[in-house]
Amino acid sequence: MELWFNYIDQILLYATLALSLNLLLGYAGQVSVAHASFGAVGGYAMAYMALNHHWNFLLGTAFGVIFAFVIGSVVALPALKLSVEYLILLTLAVSSVIIGLIVAIPSLGSSAGLINLPTADLFGYKLQHPKDWLVPALAAMLLVYFICRRIGESPTGRVLKGIREDPVATQALGKNVFAYKVSVFGIASGLAGFAGGLLAAWLSLATPGVFGFSFSLTVFAIVIFGGMANLSGSILGAAVVVLLEPVLRRVVKIEASKASLLQLVIYGLALVVLMRVRPQGALPEGFSLWRWIRGERGRGKRIEMGEDWVPTSIKINEQDDALHSDTVRGESLRDDRWHSAPIVLETSGVSKRFGGIIAADDLTIELRRGTITALVGPNGAGKTTVFNLLTGAIQPDSGSVLLNGTELIGMSPDKVARRGLVRSFQDVRLINRISCLQNVMMAVQQQPGENMGTLMFNHRKVVAGERETREKALGWLGFVGMKDFADVPAGALSYGQSKLVSLARVMATEAEVLLLDEPASGIDTKWVDTMLGLIEEVRDQGRTVCVVEHNLHVVGRLADHTYFMELGRITAQGTIAELTNTPRLAEAYFGTA
Amino acid sequence: MLAVSAQTIRQLTVDGFFRGCTYGLLGAGFALILGVTGRFHFAYGLTYVLAVYFAFTFTFRVHWGFWLSAVLGVALAAAIGGGIERVVYRPLAKNAGATALLAVFVAALGLGIAGENLVRLFWGSNTQAYYGPKKKAYHFWDTVFLNFDVWQAASGVVIVVLLALMLRYTALGRRIKATRVNPDLAKTIGINADLTYVICFVLGTVCAGVSAIWYGLKYTVDPGMGFTPVIYAFLVAFLAGTVRSPVRVFVIGIFVALIEQYSSIWLSARFTQTAVFVVLVGYLAYTAIRGSALMSKFRRPARPSAAPPPPTHDVFLSASETV
Repeated sequence: MELWFNYIDQILLYATLALSLNLLLGYAGQVSVAHASFGAVGGYAMAYMALNHHWNFLLGTAFGVIFAFVIGSVVALPALKLSVEYLILLTLAVSSVIIGLIVAIPSLGSSAGLINLPTADLFGYKLQHPKDWLVPALAAMLLVYFICRRIGESPTGRVLKGIREDPVATQALGKNVFAYKVSVFGIASGLAGFAGGLLAAWLSLATPGVFGFSFSLTVFAIVIFGGMANLSGSILGAAVVVLLEPVLRRVVKIEASKASLLQLVIYGLALVVLMRVRPQGALPEGFSLWRWIRGERGRGKRIEMGEDWVPTSIKINEQDDALHSDTVRGESLRDDRWHSAPIVLETSGVSKRFGGIIAADDLTIELRRGTITALVGPNGAGKTTVFNLLTGAIQPDSGSVLLNGTELIGMSPDKVARRGLVRSFQDVRLINRISCLQNVMMAVQQQPGENMGTLMFNHRKVVAGERETREKALGWLGFVGMKDFADVPAGALSYGQSKLVSLARVMATEAEVLLLDEPASGIDTKWVDTMLGLIEEVRDQGRTVCVVEHNLHVVGRLADHTYFMELGRITAQGTIAELTNTPRLAEAYFGTA
Repeated sequence: MLAVSAQTIRQLTVDGFFRGCTYGLLGAGFALILGVTGRFHFAYGLTYVLAVYFAFTFTFRVHWGFWLSAVLGVALAAAIGGGIERVVYRPLAKNAGATALLAVFVAALGLGIAGENLVRLFWGSNTQAYYGPKKKAYHFWDTVFLNFDVWQAASGVVIVVLLALMLRYTALGRRIKATRVNPDLAKTIGINADLTYVICFVLGTVCAGVSAIWYGLKYTVDPGMGFTPVIYAFLVAFLAGTVRSPVRVFVIGIFVALIEQYSSIWLSARFTQTAVFVVLVGYLAYTAIRGSALMSKFRRPARPSAAPPPPTHDVFLSASETV
């Protein structure tokens, strides 16, 4: 029985480490094969303090947590912009360096490690036998589970998932991707240090072998096996990996030396088979064991999405139609509106060169409140580059961008977005693996649950904020007529539907200035009307809109003012009628005079 | 100031050069696999071990000559390398979709663990001596090196140059490069991308196998010997860039080995590997902070992107418009 208690302890402690890795790997998508070495930091700190200063193991572990947190945050800095392959390499190197340094320090026992630690003492109780460890280990695991769940299933977790799938789009919604990545690395590493400290206390030793690279890989495998972004999965994974050995030993009766080898062979092959059969892990993301037991399967209701489907809440605006049909009257009216409106965003002399290519040359653009400005021009003219320059995705070589008098040049894209200048993407860039509602909720600004401190210590505020966010997001989904699709994963939408959701997402930021990159391209004719009606409604709310568009019908209907771009330069501006009546421009754009 | 004799420097340089030829060859093979197929082939170390164990078996159990055994061993390992792609990675990647990279990585990890322990079960866990041709030491300008070193370097150079020439001048090379840039597009012009992947695995494994044979001759053979080489292969391939010429990868390999050797002047030999990793972390930190320019050099794992359908009502678009 004592032996089985030992296995249960081991499961709980391995699960603790795996849960913390799952926060990093599953939610934030940051691959790390160095997790055991952060455990080593905690373990060694605990062991060193216990041996040399007779610190209690909890105090020593707390010390190790701080250490691991700091190291993890530092490691996050080079990890910020790396792709998956690079992250594996970086964390592998970090793992090797940490273990290498530990071995190099004589007072940490060199390669022999620190052994014969005093028996762990928990408030006067000696944790001598495996049975004594059951409750503390369970409590530790639950604590880490609770923290990971708080973070993962919250507005912060939503942002982390956004970073996992599309950091650029997430940043464009005003999220400080940099800070999120550093803090999630730090927190996951700190939790790993916690697990490592307990593991060392349980083993009564801290050696380089215990926390070596192969243990990192084991923890990594547990997370993948259990299912990324599924915390219950990590506990299940830990149980399977730990119990494989005793179960095999009972089932397959062979000599002990061969049994351990055979066990590893089976373990390795099981990983291969699992990846083949169930690459998303035993318990995939969003799968809840509790709901499954109660018989509630699947997420959300299935909705038929036929080709004829049209957003429900859109009423065709009679007035707009009148405006649309009477182009000449509409044009002069809109031109007047443009001239009388106050300037919100003003760029002057913005230039950008990529090597010999001039992407933007001395751009001067004005966007005015309550109007729609269009940016037209042939492909390669640099229209999307203008958006990138305005939002800080690309830093210009010179020039100035003033938003209500505030200089935007030099600000990161997320800061620009928080200032009230938000863009949509030509290729939509929804976060595919979360629902439409979550996509839109992500865009809502200043959510209390996006602050780690509030998240941990003021749950009520987070819940209230989340309810408010949800209502707002549903409102915007309703605005674009996609309320029925709230629970559908964004990846399941058709292209036109995803464009509508992306409009709702941009709207939900409640930014003053919206830059829409080809909002109507690639969608069906009957959708175009819907989309245009929505954009006009946005304008009527007093927002400032700038669209990049190829379709001159669209520009003709929407634009109050039009800029014509060629080879990075603005060569003409005016109403669309003025532009299309200029023979040279007509030739530049259409190829015919 | 540490007193370092010129002779020590010369010896370290020579050692670094020969060791670097191994790293370079391993890196070139790994880069070919990762760069073209995007598979994170962590089981590269397994094929390394298998090549030398097969050769070992042919020499000492079947009593064939050293050279025949070595060639057969490498060929068999290469076949297994190709087989892993065909039987394990390909179906797995097709099934996993967007998360293929991680799924392949974990499966490769599993294969590595299972394979290493199978080797232990079949051949035993002990370190074994592997003899071939007679060992000979050469003395040149105060430095010492072995005939194995020379052969190893020579075979490395020959293989890498052949690989580079093949990529540059042959139809197969063009096919591999086309697949590397865009496997889906390559398929549309009649290239069998799946087969090209398998070929890359075979060629990459040959690089690993040849390194393994010389390593085994110079030192000893044990089932865990595949781990360090795969780390170095990985490191060298990344530093050089996985879509670059094998010659460049080879040179970077020599460079890494020289750093490692020179660092032994100041550090005990146990820590030279740590020194290399410290340099690597520094380099990665530098590139990450410098910006994302580096990322564009590497192909992201190919995944079907939701390409927007062509505009249906855009009557003004001229034929020259490209989407």
